[in-house]
Amino acid sequence: MTLSVGIDFGTSNSGVAVFDGARVRLLPIDDQNVVPEVVKTTLYITKDFHHTIGQEAIELYYRHNVNRLRRFVKKWVGEIDFRGAEMFYVRDVYVYVDELKPGRLLQYIKTALRSQGYQGTQVFDRYYTTADLIAAYLQALKQRAEKLLGEEISQVTLGRPVYFSTDAEQDQKAEDTLRQAAYQAGFQKVQLEFEPVAAALFYEQSLDRPKNVLVFDFGGGTLDITIMSLGDSRRRKVYSSGGIGIAGSDFDRAIIENRMLPHFGKGQVDDNLELIELVNTVADWIALPDLSTPQARMRLKHAIQVGIAPVRLKALESLIFNDLAFTFYNAVEASKIALSDTGASVIRMQAQDIDLWELYTRHQFERDIREYQARIESVLLDTIIQSGLETEQIDAVVKTGGSSYIPAFSEMLNRLFGPERVHSSNMFSSVTAGLAIKAYDSGHS
Amino acid sequence: MIPSQKIDEWVREVEERPSSAPVILRFIASRLSELAQRNEELLAENIELQTGQKVEQYESRIANLEYQLEMLKRQFSQNLLAPAEPAAEMVSALVYNPQGQVLRLELRADELVHNTLITSFPDSAVAGGRLRLLATSSQEELLFIFDSGRTVALPVAEIPAVDPGAPDWQQAYLQDVHGLEELVAIQPIARMALSETCVQVSRRAFVKKIKESFLETYIANNYIGTGVKLQADKTCSLAFCGPDDLLVLVSKEGYVWCIEASRLPFMIEEAQRLRSMDHIITAFSANPQSSLVVVTRSGKAVHRDNSWLELAISLKTQGKPLFSRERRAAGDQVAGAAAINENDWAAALRSDGALAVYKLRDLLGAGSLLPGNASAHILDFATFGAQA
Repeated sequence: MTLSVGIDFGTSNSGVAVFDGARVRLLPIDDQNVVPEVVKTTLYITKDFHHTIGQEAIELYYRHNVNRLRRFVKKWVGEIDFRGAEMFYVRDVYVYVDELKPGRLLQYIKTALRSQGYQGTQVFDRYYTTADLIAAYLQALKQRAEKLLGEEISQVTLGRPVYFSTDAEQDQKAEDTLRQAAYQAGFQKVQLEFEPVAAALFYEQSLDRPKNVLVFDFGGGTLDITIMSLGDSRRRKVYSSGGIGIAGSDFDRAIIENRMLPHFGKGQVDDNLELIELVNTVADWIALPDLSTPQARMRLKHAIQVGIAPVRLKALESLIFNDLAFTFYNAVEASKIALSDTGASVIRMQAQDIDLWELYTRHQFERDIREYQARIESVLLDTIIQSGLETEQIDAVVKTGGSSYIPAFSEMLNRLFGPERVHSSNMFSSVTAGLAIKAYDSGHS
Repeated sequence: MIPSQKIDEWVREVEERPSSAPVILRFIASRLSELAQRNEELLAENIELQTGQKVEQYESRIANLEYQLEMLKRQFSQNLLAPAEPAAEMVSALVYNPQGQVLRLELRADELVHNTLITSFPDSAVAGGRLRLLATSSQEELLFIFDSGRTVALPVAEIPAVDPGAPDWQQAYLQDVHGLEELVAIQPIARMALSETCVQVSRRAFVKKIKESFLETYIANNYIGTGVKLQADKTCSLAFCGPDDLLVLVSKEGYVWCIEASRLPFMIEEAQRLRSMDHIITAFSANPQSSLVVVTRSGKAVHRDNSWLELAISLKTQGKPLFSRERRAAGDQVAGAAAINENDWAAALRSDGALAVYKLRDLLGAGSLLPGNASAHILDFATFGAQA
């Protein structure tokens, strides 16, 4: 018999589960993580193209990279053919390559699926398309799961957000890329299911009578909402689905833009276009690692030498050239998560030339994401209207995903539906579990 | 500096959620205590600087280090005075023509400098453009291959080395040519014993696989066979392959054809289907550790990872193009290619007679063997190991 699993390939975290018809088993896929059933969606690619994922990837990255030596060499990478009306010429293209770089860490890979401009990235001498990156991650996940289960996994049910993009063509392209990556990773049969539908299937296990349920799946990359009738597997019905590409990673970015950039010179170097461009890049996790070039270092050193915001720019130099970006983003995210339980937290980072301390309150956070809050409430109300149901006809609201625990959104749901109807499902694993149920159902239908 | 606007926001949080007040207070108190401690350390350091105490500390530390250095110097002085000098590796650059003339230049491997002109041959001899280049260890054994199928084995050291300052074809070593035959290739054969098969490749891409044990017999009999099916065709290269190696053929028009050596036939067969004006420039074996460099006549060094190679499914296929159609139409041609490690060196012979050596790592970074305004082109290109 072929083994089929459910995989939630999330923006920040992922997971794998199997269902035997009675019980969902979440696999302890990352034994180095605090919660072994959750694996961070991080991929570390070494110079010899070895792939590691999760906590192991992060630890390897730290061991290899922090405070390491660098040596930049100018490398010819190819040519660009220029064609004019009556002329044709070839131009050489060079890049500065850090030849001592031992590996590259990639996170938030899933966001590449909803980014129209992002096609892939060069990792050392090899070009990884978005599908290649996802395939590398899924393959490692598959191998770990097979080791735990002791048999080969040939079929998978993968979760997908309701909307990768509001543009239908782009949305289809993202789905095709995800499907192709799964095949590339070695799965022979691949089916996709909406993530909130999967979370609903898991919630359904706890129901003893049919109910209209709204699933509010709010993770690291997207918000997905589905309104379904659940409780009787023969009469399941999806009334409406909605979503928006706003979630945890956007909030992190908002925090960095509003609160952290001044620590790296914003407000002091605004009249210097080259420097402010460097400072603004701190908020962009894709672009920040690419800033470590000799030109950027020269620019920063010169500015420090002539006394332009020396303490802030020294901190920026350290952030870029000591590979501290990942530590920095983690510190911001950890502080945001802490605000779900407390009114204030501190974003703290100490390293060579960096002594960063930012007291951050829930009031400030809510102010920073106010614009997003309004858009999210509007999407939620639109989805309810599309369902044709009144809010009173919705029996239960199930929230899942890390961002759904942000107090501002819990309060929004309580205000709209009343706290007695709002339930929490397993924060990180309900989608994974639901996908495993779906995988089982498909195999036995 | 904490702007007042930020303090207002903290106050606002306390107004909205009084339960946040103790948390905020604790964070600020902890930070204040941390900053106070840091301030004290800085003040102490400042006092040490002002009183000269710090300077004394540094002076004492420098004196201590100087003493240790002196002791180390004494301890190792014997070794420093009489360092053992290892024998230098010698590399030979051989330039030869179809008439059997060979000029050998000998270079010290440890004195090679990237992008250095070794010598310049008289223009008249280069003008014909039929010169070929081989760079190899001076300890090598060479196999001279003639288009008649005749072979001659000879150690490199038996070919007299010429003065790089003024190479003269009058002083060239002459390997006898019988009748109308031509010298088509000189191949180092020391690796032969480590290989499983030898593949003889012709200019029109016909290949013949020879088992290593048979090759020894061929060499002993001074005859390897013409290795061609067409009368106008000639052998151009030998490649020694291990059981898992790939055979790579590179044509003048930039088509790269590759197959597992184990899949090649023992009979003479057309391996790569070439266009009418195209011919094979070089053939070599490649393994997963090496990568590929192709040098064009205009001096471009194109580096490709082994993963770029596409294995041919069958014989008589065209291979993967290295250039775009426009580049081919513009006249770009391959001058040489090789499987390399980045620590290898390369030598290139130019149409203006210049012979230069390059460190491959730096060459790949620069991307070109010739300066932008060079009027010359590359005639032949050869690589050799760092310990050649």
